[in-house]
Amino acid sequence: MPNDNRRINGPENTLSYRLFSNSNPHSNVQKKIKDIFKNNTRPSERNFSEQRKIFLKCGVVSQAKGSAYFEVDNTKVIVSVYDPREIPKKTDYSLKGELYCVFKFAPFSCPTRRGYQQDAEEKQNSAILKRALESAVCRHKFPNFQVDVYVLVLENDGSALSAAITAAGVALAQAGIPMYDTITAATLGVQGSHKIVDPNLEEETLCNVAVYKNEGEKKYESHGIIILSMLSTHEQVSELYQTGNLSLDTINAAINILSKATKEIVPLVEKCLVNHVTKNLKTDVED
Amino acid sequence: MSLCEAEKTFILHGVEENFRNDGRERSQYRPMELETNIVAHAFGSARLRLANTDVLVAVKIEVDVPTIDQPSEGKIEFFVDCSANATPDFEGRGGEDLAMEIMNSLTNAYKSTKAFNLSKLCILKGRKCWKLMVDILLLECGGNLYDAVSLAVKAALWHTEIPRVLSVNLDGNNVELEVSEKIHDCIKLDVTSAPIMVTISKIGEHCVVDPSSAEEQCATAAVVVAISQNRFTTILQTGSGSLHPNTLIESLTLGSQIASQLDTALIEVLQQKSGEKPIGFLL
Repeated sequence: MPNDNRRINGPENTLSYRLFSNSNPHSNVQKKIKDIFKNNTRPSERNFSEQRKIFLKCGVVSQAKGSAYFEVDNTKVIVSVYDPREIPKKTDYSLKGELYCVFKFAPFSCPTRRGYQQDAEEKQNSAILKRALESAVCRHKFPNFQVDVYVLVLENDGSALSAAITAAGVALAQAGIPMYDTITAATLGVQGSHKIVDPNLEEETLCNVAVYKNEGEKKYESHGIIILSMLSTHEQVSELYQTGNLSLDTINAAINILSKATKEIVPLVEKCLVNHVTKNLKTDVED
Repeated sequence: MSLCEAEKTFILHGVEENFRNDGRERSQYRPMELETNIVAHAFGSARLRLANTDVLVAVKIEVDVPTIDQPSEGKIEFFVDCSANATPDFEGRGGEDLAMEIMNSLTNAYKSTKAFNLSKLCILKGRKCWKLMVDILLLECGGNLYDAVSLAVKAALWHTEIPRVLSVNLDGNNVELEVSEKIHDCIKLDVTSAPIMVTISKIGEHCVVDPSSAEEQCATAAVVVAISQNRFTTILQTGSGSLHPNTLIESLTLGSQIASQLDTALIEVLQQKSGEKPIGFLL
């Protein structure tokens, strides 16, 4: 890893103090999961299929052509989209335009500090974001040009990637990039037989570990995280991303739950865009 | 290589008739060739040739310190090298994105404890563990990289031999390991549940497995699934297309069926291979 001399880097080998405290999400996971799901309630005291309240606003970055701010509980995401520009360092002509996506966690967004350079997870998220958005954008309308999409997660409280996809869809629409449909995304966590829509950070960590079904027995429960992004009018899944260990039936059920969850967000996205347009028209008329 | 519209239509019609341009059916694989233990300096290695796709995988082992989060687990890391020998597209930094994709999907596929148990790689809790470094070299690209890579990785891990640790001594803060002096006194890894990846491409109205590079260009969308013992460890949609939820579920079902067939076939071959007598004078 090349050293970044322009910024203050932390010492090379440090550990978060949280690892040694009781609030460490990785300690006693087995017991925690038993305690939490024993009463059939989630850690966040929501219903299993209930999403958190979303705040969505577009046109927050004045320098960008289009931008959106997405807040769901403590997950805060800013997306900015810039005008199409010629693809740098490209020799051959491409018939379809390109999306250049950068997904970045702010250094202070997670319990452990994130570096300034993209790590493997952020690069992976950028790639997922790109694939999800590509099928929503009419790329043939801007051949040989690229549109830049920058996502910055200010605070991560779970489901950051699906928040980023939804917000990026709004930002692209506001920037006037031709699109086929609105794009919305949702996350589902699975732990044992529990399916948790829109998990927060704590629930996400719990869904990432395999625990034994019974004490002493060497059989693991299913667990995992699924992210699905959907073009709602066309009923097309533009990206499905899953990690963990799940059976086919669970995934089928998850796809149904998630397509419902993504549809719930659509009116909000539409309202946000309509509000923005009417507001702009009014100011135009006044001028 | 890029195809013209007429060629694409030809492939599309072939898929519709369930007779692809190399004579296969939709759910049929191309013939494969597997060689194992071919890299002298690696702890386990495999080379897989799937028609024109050629992959070489070598596993190296190092002693490392386990992470604080998982003190009683070893580590596994994947590195993918898209050399410009494979296709001219990989020249310079061209292959970097693809390498990143394959690396991340493998990491995710092997992450679940259920699919690959890392606790056997622990030597002393919180102090020492083995780190498996899986190096994947793409020698030639002929489509369907994910499947070829995952099969080769599983075969290489199957043959990986970890030196037997006879004793662990704690001297103050230093950990001293005593490793068996006999070079064949090794432990084998249990990789029966390691995931296999299958790419399902949607060409026209139908889903096909193992697309050649020409067919990959005709595909409207593709799904990659990683399956370990009939359970999904990773799903990702590659390419820029989208799918209807029903088609998606259909392709997932197909993927899981194909993967379990592939898995049994691979394990059968590997078991046959391990029955062969070792040749040499150092035994």
